[in-house]
Amino acid sequence: MIGNDLGRRLKKWGGTARRLKWKRTLTVRRYPVRKLHKIIQCSYVLLLTSSVLVAAPQDTVSEETLEFFQGQCASCHTIGGGRLGGPDLKGATDRREADWLARFIRDPQGVIESGDPYALKILSEANGVVMPTLAGIDAKLAEKLVNLIRVESALEKSHFEGMKFDDRALTDADIERGRSLFLGLTSFENGAPACASCHALAGLAGFGGGTLGPDLTSAYGRLEGRKALSAWLTSPPSAVMQPVFKGHSLESEEILGLVAAMKDAAESGIGETESSTLSFILSGIGLAAGLMVLFDGFWRKRFRSVRRTLVENS
Amino acid sequence: MVFHLDKCIGCHTCSVACKNVWTDREGTDYMWWNNVETKPGTGYPTKWEDQDSYKGGWVTDGEDLELRSTSKSKIIPNIFHNPAQPSMDDYYEPWTYKYEDLFNAPEGDDQPTARPVSMVTGEHIDVEAGPNWDDDLSGSEVYAKNDVNMDGLNQEQRAQMMAIERLAFFYLPRICNHCLNPSCVAACPSGALYKRGEDGIVLLNQDRCRAWRSCIPACPYKKTYFNWSTGKSEKCILCFPRLETGQAPACFHSCVGRIRYISNLLYDADKIRELALLPDDQLVEAQREMILDPHDPAVIEAAKKNGVHDGIIRTAQKSPVYKFLKEWKLALPLHVEYRTFPMLFYVPPLLPVMSSTQGDVVRNEVDELFGDIEKARAPIEYLGKMFTGGNLGKLRYALRKQLAVRIWRRFVTVGDISEDKAKAALAEADCTPEAADEIYRLSALATFDDRFVIPPFQREMAIEMLEDPHDHRSITGFGSRMAPKRS
Repeated sequence: MIGNDLGRRLKKWGGTARRLKWKRTLTVRRYPVRKLHKIIQCSYVLLLTSSVLVAAPQDTVSEETLEFFQGQCASCHTIGGGRLGGPDLKGATDRREADWLARFIRDPQGVIESGDPYALKILSEANGVVMPTLAGIDAKLAEKLVNLIRVESALEKSHFEGMKFDDRALTDADIERGRSLFLGLTSFENGAPACASCHALAGLAGFGGGTLGPDLTSAYGRLEGRKALSAWLTSPPSAVMQPVFKGHSLESEEILGLVAAMKDAAESGIGETESSTLSFILSGIGLAAGLMVLFDGFWRKRFRSVRRTLVENS
Repeated sequence: MVFHLDKCIGCHTCSVACKNVWTDREGTDYMWWNNVETKPGTGYPTKWEDQDSYKGGWVTDGEDLELRSTSKSKIIPNIFHNPAQPSMDDYYEPWTYKYEDLFNAPEGDDQPTARPVSMVTGEHIDVEAGPNWDDDLSGSEVYAKNDVNMDGLNQEQRAQMMAIERLAFFYLPRICNHCLNPSCVAACPSGALYKRGEDGIVLLNQDRCRAWRSCIPACPYKKTYFNWSTGKSEKCILCFPRLETGQAPACFHSCVGRIRYISNLLYDADKIRELALLPDDQLVEAQREMILDPHDPAVIEAAKKNGVHDGIIRTAQKSPVYKFLKEWKLALPLHVEYRTFPMLFYVPPLLPVMSSTQGDVVRNEVDELFGDIEKARAPIEYLGKMFTGGNLGKLRYALRKQLAVRIWRRFVTVGDISEDKAKAALAEADCTPEAADEIYRLSALATFDDRFVIPPFQREMAIEMLEDPHDHRSITGFGSRMAPKRS
């Protein structure tokens, strides 16, 4: 449902942009080739306009920026929809100056490490979850994003008030389905890789999952609940996960299941499965020893040193 | 080839001659193309006769002849490693001494010593084994006791062989047997090993050897060796450069006991497969059957038809090997049950019991001067396991005939045995006085030319047996074996 909804919303932007007199680079492509001269004219006009607009704060937002925000930011931030993983950005441009925001967007980790007090404050509000550095971010894009926040904050009803999630009560069946998806026993509809290939989760069978990514046992708690986690899973924004999940977004039912499984894990009281590494190593050693015993039995007639055996047995 | 074991004194001169001529290079330092073993003993490499470990030679179920070491299916899993190879320790780690320490050591209270260093690693080693480590029954409790040929003996016989004052041993010099059915050649995946058409010498082409090491487990006598420096296998070449110039191989030439005889034989190679399928105890007879009578006109005619040169037929007729092997039936192949049909034959040692001590009293065990072969110190079963594939009849025949010749010669030279008795002994041993004299002459008095009847090799004609030189006339250059290279 979320996926389909998102699709519709993305399509609607065309209309919105026209209403707002946004720069329409994408719609240009819709013109048939025979109207090429028109396109050139149009582009020319737009080019002039944009060059005028660079100096002053813009009140238009390009469709790429919108898409970028939807893809990279919306899974943690709303504009006027309340807190998810990160703070609600409505009025952020009033709270902080544009420069600071652009700087933070470009390098969140750097700003936090510089000891900036406001950055530390929002870090503590986010339970210590540092905003990931966005893939493909640069100064120009950061500026555009700040502009987007400003424009969207000014709207009475922003486009990023937050996605609508099914908030029905989570059942045991959801937990079961979520675990099955997490472990890869059930495949994701759109071909995303199973979570367990990189992440561990307490209470799961076997070794609890992979160790490439962080342990997700406390993820539910860290992201402050269902809504934020659901939003996060809609399009995972981290630099590692984004390319992996591009074109393989999760269905809303799948997200519901995963959220249920992760909530269950967080509430189960089992700590993060640090012992899984140890048990993995020990099981490996055990298995190797077992195989050696097996091979030794299988090739018991193999050639051994003749002379040494003879001397030692005498 | 015949080695007369009753004459071997175990001096290792043959081994040293061979080592000096062929294997004093790096990588060959552990090889002894010729070695002399003490029997009972485990030999070199240790327990080479134990084919359960080393998987040498052929096995047959009566219908098919197969290599024990490899087959088409076994070659895939073992393609990079032949598991049944003797390790360096099974041969021995070759060593030398740091002689310069004797001169360069600082002044001190102790005599300087030359410590042994490995010729492979250059590090100090404690010498634990050598190519004749169990020489003269040294370490017999460890080595001689584990002689594979004693497997068939009962406890009493074993005890007898090991008993103090009754110890029996003899020497067994070994070189490559240049077998008629060589398993090393059959096992070689790169076709580097071949049996030379004109003289039957088994050679290993150094250019074609690809270090698969299949020959090493395959040879039941462990007479192919891997050169760890060049990465190629090497083996006895029967000193073919010497043979081609009419000289006996170095080990034959240098033999102090004059135990070695070499000449050529005519044989029927088409029978090899059929005869190799026979049971163990029939193999000695089978091999003798394969060797043809060089005086038989039909054989001579067939040989000539096959391009065998007159000179080769002439030496085959004068061959001492033929006499020992077929006329007198004294010579026996070593471990014929490996089914490679070795072309080196051994005259088994007599080892009669002369006397024994009981307390301080030395007393004759038998009434007769030469005793009885049944009471010989080495149990006949032991020799049978080595030389006749368990066929004790063949072995008794050879021993009895040797004994009869001694009795006969005692009658001729000393005369304290009556003529009747001597003739009766000869008759019992299927021997005539003339044959006995000839055996005596070839065993005891044989000159260089009697022992070494070397055929004219005539390489240029030998080549014609295999290929037509005219085919190559236009395609070979002169002077170099390989195409000249530009640097």
